[in-house]
Amino acid sequence: MTLQISENEQMSPARVDMSTQQVIAVENLRHSYDGKSFALDDVTFGVKKGEVFGLLGKNGAGKTTLIKALTTLIKPTSGKLSILGLDPRRDGKEIRQRIGVVQQGESFDFATVEGNFDIYGVLWGVPTRIRQQRRDELIKSFGLQDVRKKRAFDLSGGQKRRVQVARELMHDMDVLFLDEPTTGLDVIMRRELLDSVRERARKGLTVVFTTHNLEEADYVCDRVAVVDEGKILAMDTVENLKRLYGGKKTVEVTLAGGDGQGFFDRLRIRLAGNGSELKAEGNSAVILTNDPKGTLQRIMELSQETGVQMDWLNIRKNTLEDVFISSVTKTEHE
Amino acid sequence: MSLPGIVKLMYRNVKVNVDPGTLIILIGLPAMYLVFFGFGFGAMIPGGGATAYLTFLTPGIMSFQCVMAGTVGGSMLWADRRWGMLAQILVGPFTRLQYLLGIMFTSLIFGLAGAFVMLLGAFAIVGASLQVTLWGALTAFGVIAIGSIFFGSLMLLISGLVKSNNAYNSIQILLIFVVNFASTVFYSFNSSLPLPIQVLFQINPLTYVANAARGGFVGSLPAASSWQIPLLIVETIVLLAMATRVYVRSEISFV
Repeated sequence: MTLQISENEQMSPARVDMSTQQVIAVENLRHSYDGKSFALDDVTFGVKKGEVFGLLGKNGAGKTTLIKALTTLIKPTSGKLSILGLDPRRDGKEIRQRIGVVQQGESFDFATVEGNFDIYGVLWGVPTRIRQQRRDELIKSFGLQDVRKKRAFDLSGGQKRRVQVARELMHDMDVLFLDEPTTGLDVIMRRELLDSVRERARKGLTVVFTTHNLEEADYVCDRVAVVDEGKILAMDTVENLKRLYGGKKTVEVTLAGGDGQGFFDRLRIRLAGNGSELKAEGNSAVILTNDPKGTLQRIMELSQETGVQMDWLNIRKNTLEDVFISSVTKTEHE
Repeated sequence: MSLPGIVKLMYRNVKVNVDPGTLIILIGLPAMYLVFFGFGFGAMIPGGGATAYLTFLTPGIMSFQCVMAGTVGGSMLWADRRWGMLAQILVGPFTRLQYLLGIMFTSLIFGLAGAFVMLLGAFAIVGASLQVTLWGALTAFGVIAIGSIFFGSLMLLISGLVKSNNAYNSIQILLIFVVNFASTVFYSFNSSLPLPIQVLFQINPLTYVANAARGGFVGSLPAASSWQIPLLIVETIVLLAMATRVYVRSEISFV
C-alpha cells in the first residue's frame, strides 16, 4: 500500500498565534519513512515561549521522528509546521541558527572534551573570548574538570552525556530540543540538569524535552504530550492530566506466591464494569480505579477464596506514570 | 565578524583530522613510496639511476596525494556518520551543501599540502637535480587540485553507497592499490603491457594527473593532456554531482 497525500494536505506553515507567544506550531503533521505506515500520524500541538514541553512515549513511539521534523532533519510528509514563525521548508538554516539540539545518540568529534567544546563554539560562531569563558563555566558546572583533557570517546556513558548536553549550551538559542538528555546521568547530575533547564525556561528559553522517565517529566515539564504509534494520546499540564485520570486512584498488589496470572485473570473479570484498568506482571499488578474501596474488597474476597496470600497491598494517588500507562494501554486494548 | 559556514566546517575538519593516524596515511605512506621505491627501483637503473628515477617519481608521488586526500574526505563523511556528528552538524547553522563542500575543500587542502610536503621531501633527497619552474609547479598543483576533488567525490560517493565499515575500508584499500599501480605514478605507459592493463592505465584519472604534473615539471605538457585534462574536469563535475545526489539521499537514513 502506498500512502496518498492529497495536494491540499501538502506541508504548509502552521498559523502562529503571536498573542500567546507560540514559538512552535504543529498541525496535522504526518510523516512516513516507507510510504506504507506513518511514524507520525496527525500530530497537532503548540509550544509557548518559555515553556518546557515534554514528549512522553515508549521506544519507537515517534518522539525522535517528531524532534527530527521540528529540527529540520527530515521533511514531513504532510501537515503544517512552524518554528519561531518560520517555515522549515524555506527557512531551514535560519531556524537552525536559533535552535539547539541534544540528540539521543552520541555525537562527538575525535578530540578532547575541551576540544569538542572549542570546535562546537567555532562552528556556532561564538567569539573567542566568550567561547573560552563559556567552555570553562560549562566544564565546571557539569563536573567535567577532571576529564577536560581526555578524549570524549574515552569517557563513561554518563560523562559523555554531560559533555553532549553542556556542549550544546555553548551557543545562544531560542528553542532547545533535548532528546532523552538524562540517559546515563546519576541522580544528582540529573536533578542539576533539570533545574538548569527550568531556570533557562524561566529566562525565556523554550524547551522540548523527550523522556522515558516520567518522574523527571513531572518535575520539569509545564505540559506533556503522551505519544504512541505516532499519535498524541493525551496532552495537558501534568496536574490536569493527573486530574483527568483521577478521581482515579492506584491500587498496587503483590502476591506472596501462587498462580499470579490465574489470580489476576479472575480479578480482572470481577472488576469488569467498575471502570478499573488492571495491568499485571508476574505476581504484581497495578489497578487504576475509580472505586478503590470496592477494588480492595474484591481482592480480599478473591484472596480468601483462592487461599493466595498477599505480600503487599497499597492505595496511592495517581502519578504521571499511571496516566502514561493508562493512556498507552487503553490504545493497545482498543 | 563571523566566518562563512564552509570555512568553519573546514576548520573543524582540519582540526579533527590532523592526528597521527591521518598524517601517517596522508604523508607517511607516499613518503615511504618516494624513499623506498625511489632508491630501490632507482638502483636497478645503471649509471646513477636513483637520482633520475627520483626526479621522475616526484611528480607522480605528488599526484598520488590526490588519491590519499580523497580517502581522507571519504573517511571524514564515514566517521561523521559513525560518531553522530553528521546529524549534529545538520541541525546546526549549515546547509547540506556547505557540509559536503566543507569536506571537499578540506580534501583539496590535504591534497595540495601533501603534494607540497612531497616536493620538499624530494628536494631534500635529490637537491638541485630536481628542476622545476614556477609554471611547472603551478601546473602540477593545479592538476592535483582537480584530481583531489575527483577522488574526494569518488570516495564520498562510495561512502554514501556502502553501509558497512568493513566494506568501506576494503574498497578503499583496493581502490588505492589499483588506482596507484595502474597509473603512471611509478612508471611510464608502455605499449608492451598486456591489453587489460593498458586499458586500466588509459582510463585511470590518476594517469591523467600524473602525466600532466610530470609534463608541467619539465615545462611541456604531453600531447595526451590536451584531452586527458578536459576529460578529468568533466569526470570530476559528473562525479561531484553524483556524490552530492547520493549523499543527500543516503544521509537521511543515518540521521
